Amino acid sequence: MQAMFNVYTLSIVFSITFIIVVIELVRKNKLQEKYSILWIFMSIILLVLSSTPLIINKIAEWINIQNPPSFLFLFGLVYLIIYNLHLTVVVSNQSEKITRLAQEIALLKEEKDRKTFKAKYARVATHGQPGGGNSVKGNAAR
Amino acid sequence: MMKILAIVPAYNEEQSVSDVVIKIKLYMPEADILVINDGSIDATSERATDAGAKVINVPFNLGIGGAMQTGYLYAKRNNYDIAVQVDADGQHDPAYIKDLIKPIMLNKADMVIGSRFIEETSYRPSVFRKIGIKFFSALVRFLSNRNIADPTSGFRAVNREIIKYFSEYYPVDYPEVDVLIKLFRKGYRIIEIPVEMEERKKGRSSITPLRSVYYMIKVTLCLFMESLKNV
Repeated sequence: MQAMFNVYTLSIVFSITFIIVVIELVRKNKLQEKYSILWIFMSIILLVLSSTPLIINKIAEWINIQNPPSFLFLFGLVYLIIYNLHLTVVVSNQSEKITRLAQEIALLKEEKDRKTFKAKYARVATHGQPGGGNSVKGNAAR
Repeated sequence: MMKILAIVPAYNEEQSVSDVVIKIKLYMPEADILVINDGSIDATSERATDAGAKVINVPFNLGIGGAMQTGYLYAKRNNYDIAVQVDADGQHDPAYIKDLIKPIMLNKADMVIGSRFIEETSYRPSVFRKIGIKFFSALVRFLSNRNIADPTSGFRAVNREIIKYFSEYYPVDYPEVDVLIKLFRKGYRIIEIPVEMEERKKGRSSITPLRSVYYMIKVTLCLFMESLKNV
């Protein structure tokens, strides 16, 4: 007797659910389109492979896999490894950008502080308030 | 007259940073001093300001590479001719800065490293550290065919060209050894001069034995990977 759910059915159900989830995430702006494409691409391949055992049987024959559904696992695994590599490339790129942003902010802050200090000092000097350093501090506090 | 900037990266060094700033002022009155406060949670920034340094507060901890590069960006944008790196923990003696920048002023070198090992000094590193330094020295020799006795020393001075290069590219993690190989590959002149160094006086080093083994493996792997890059 055949089981009600075989790996193909399971895989089909999974692929369809996954596509829906991904599309939903994009719609809610929780996932950028460019990252969703690779996921949708994967689900569609998975869907095709699991709904037409013909293809998978052929492939299994070519690369000498005893149990054709194993190819589904192989495909999933390889795809995930590659996608992970892609993600670490993205992360590297982003961390470089974040570092540069932090540096720019730090430099801007320093420049701004220097300018406000100079402006205040100049005002104090022209108004001729006594006790230079103190009045600068007093102004800053006000 | 050459514009000189002393870059002091500091992460939680409230106990030693002001001594370092004051000493730099004493030995190098013509230099501007820039402390990069790398997201410290203590009073590093206040101590450095009070001691009379310019302070740049990075919004969060970037690590030594990112902090140092902030200093080089500043040096480049404000047109400095020479930049000197000095550690905030007090192990680099600012009295040597003059010797460090001399070869650059005479245009005899693009980078000068303050080295603990080219002359017999009183510095006695732990066996662990000695092995580490020997190892990296051999690694530099292997990858670039040059001799640097103290490749991990962060007491360095560089000229305008290298300031520009560092402001564009500076490694994130283990920068000391890494940049040597990069600079050699680009054909820059790097020399070493003897300096005395002290063990850190106050505060805690971020390097523990276990971490340094991990560090050595990581740096070695990364350096091999790096050497595949185009310059």
